[in-house]
Amino acid sequence: MLSCRALRKSYVTERGEVLAVGGIDLDVEAGRYAAIIGRSGSGKSSLMAMVGGLSRPSDGSVVIDGTDIWGLSDDKLAAFRNRRLGFVFQFASLLPTLRLVDNVALPALLGKRGDADIYGKAAMLLGRMGLGDHLDAYPGECSAGEQRRAAIARALINDPVLLLADEPTSDLDEQTEIEIMDELLAVNRELGTTLVLVTHNLALAEQAEQIVHIAGGTIAP
Amino acid sequence: MRWLLLSLALQNLGRRKARSLLLIAAVALGSGVVFTGAVLMQSIDRSMAVGFTRLGADMMVVPEGALTNIAASLLVVEPSELVLDADVLAKARITSLGRIAAQKIVRVEHSGIGSHHESADLVGFEPAQDFTVQPWLVEKLNRPLQAGDVILGAARDGVLGSQLLIFGKPHVVYGRLGRTGVGTHERGVFMSFATLEALREAIGGHGTKPAVLAPGKVTGFLAELAPGATPLQARFAILSNVKGVKVVAGDTTLSGIRQGLAALLDGILALMVLMFASMALMVSVLFSAIVTERRSELGLLKAIGARRGQVLGVMVTEAVLATGIGGILGVVLGVLVMRLFERSLVYYLENVGVPFLWIDLPRTVAFAVGAIVLASVIGVLGVLYPAWRASRRDAYDLVRSGA
Repeated sequence: MLSCRALRKSYVTERGEVLAVGGIDLDVEAGRYAAIIGRSGSGKSSLMAMVGGLSRPSDGSVVIDGTDIWGLSDDKLAAFRNRRLGFVFQFASLLPTLRLVDNVALPALLGKRGDADIYGKAAMLLGRMGLGDHLDAYPGECSAGEQRRAAIARALINDPVLLLADEPTSDLDEQTEIEIMDELLAVNRELGTTLVLVTHNLALAEQAEQIVHIAGGTIAP
Repeated sequence: MRWLLLSLALQNLGRRKARSLLLIAAVALGSGVVFTGAVLMQSIDRSMAVGFTRLGADMMVVPEGALTNIAASLLVVEPSELVLDADVLAKARITSLGRIAAQKIVRVEHSGIGSHHESADLVGFEPAQDFTVQPWLVEKLNRPLQAGDVILGAARDGVLGSQLLIFGKPHVVYGRLGRTGVGTHERGVFMSFATLEALREAIGGHGTKPAVLAPGKVTGFLAELAPGATPLQARFAILSNVKGVKVVAGDTTLSGIRQGLAALLDGILALMVLMFASMALMVSVLFSAIVTERRSELGLLKAIGARRGQVLGVMVTEAVLATGIGGILGVVLGVLVMRLFERSLVYYLENVGVPFLWIDLPRTVAFAVGAIVLASVIGVLGVLYPAWRASRRDAYDLVRSGA
């Protein structure tokens, strides 16, 4: 399902080149829950951004469901991200001027999906996340946990094959963290969506079927 | 989707109300100045065109022995027994002359015009080439001048469209001229050459017919200088090439004023272009800042699958909305300014006899639409480069740099 080869990312700064990811090979089978763990600055988020088609690698390849995503043109990559990938960020990532239901529907609207009741599905997903009575609420009117659940609903609107979550609970309290993780795991188990989660919380990682430990931009043994 | 993007753009504008209002106000001022300036310049240009034409010809060419009134503020051909060939100036090909209007003038008595013994000057002109009579029309029938029509000088009575018998022949009062302060002009009865020549048999009874009524003969010519030509050059050219004529030049300050005002309008136009350019730069700088501030949001849009065109679309929609609203407000502002202008300066000018002619409504509307479109184009140009640059960046970079 997911296959990364010799994936490398370096950033050019005023002090010279900084290597964030230094040649990672990674495979995740379809339907699995993989956790990527590591300390801050280890390169987890950079790896996740390359896997999610958000940051172009300096070198190497990412193949998802048979598609070498970095071989695609800009627009085709955007379409791939839109239809095949779901992304949950480590911070509030909703557009503040749109209602929750608009935020959730937005990826489907951007992808010009004309085959379904987009707003109906957005409402259903929000209901599944326990936000059925918050459809018309604006992000600013919701708690951090509610916003994160809405972000998960948004990530699921186009039925992605791969759900990427980059420390989605890092700024949440313990109870909310458990609720969010339950939602993500439910998506993985019930819908069969492959889940790759970046975390520095070992307790969360222990539930994963595959744990990848990153240190210094490479996979630690 | 379009409505959602539009709503997104509108709500983004609403997020920073003070900044959005200042941006809209700046664009409104700019487009208001452009709109008002364009309408006023065109109106001034039009008024100048009529006004200067009303100031008359730059020079007059008459037979050598003819009497001329050099004290009059307006060059007018006086009645004379002396005549010139109608094609004498055309044959001479004087390049320092612009438009030339030939006139035939006959002073008649017992014509039926005015009281029984009153003399009247019948002035014939060629409507297609005339630039000295028709600009003075203050009222006229709603149709072109035709054979049998006469135009009355300001000092003559007659109802528009009524019948006027000249030597017993019926004519229609087609129009009336404004006051010029020149007697010959104010007391004249103006008509086309054809209409005047049709009176040839009646004028003078069975006696000698005035020579000027013969086809191909005229009393004199009123002429404009060619652009850049001086009265001295034209006078020299005429006297060298045409024998037996006298050249009378008008007040040379008129052509100086004409050229000066044209230069002034060009200068105003240049200032407007500069203001437009500075407004475009300001909008561009502002939108650079807005795009920088919204990098995280643009990154999120890219992350959830927005194509580059869609990311650009969000920003362009926002810019077009802001500057378009500014443009519309600018036009409203411009209309208010022009109403004020009309009630003050234009009212004053017309009271002292200086005509101010607004351009017609369709052209005004075209300028209004142009100002709004221009304002929107400024918005598009202002946002396009920063938005294009942002859309090229990786979504992750945008999200990180704005987070």
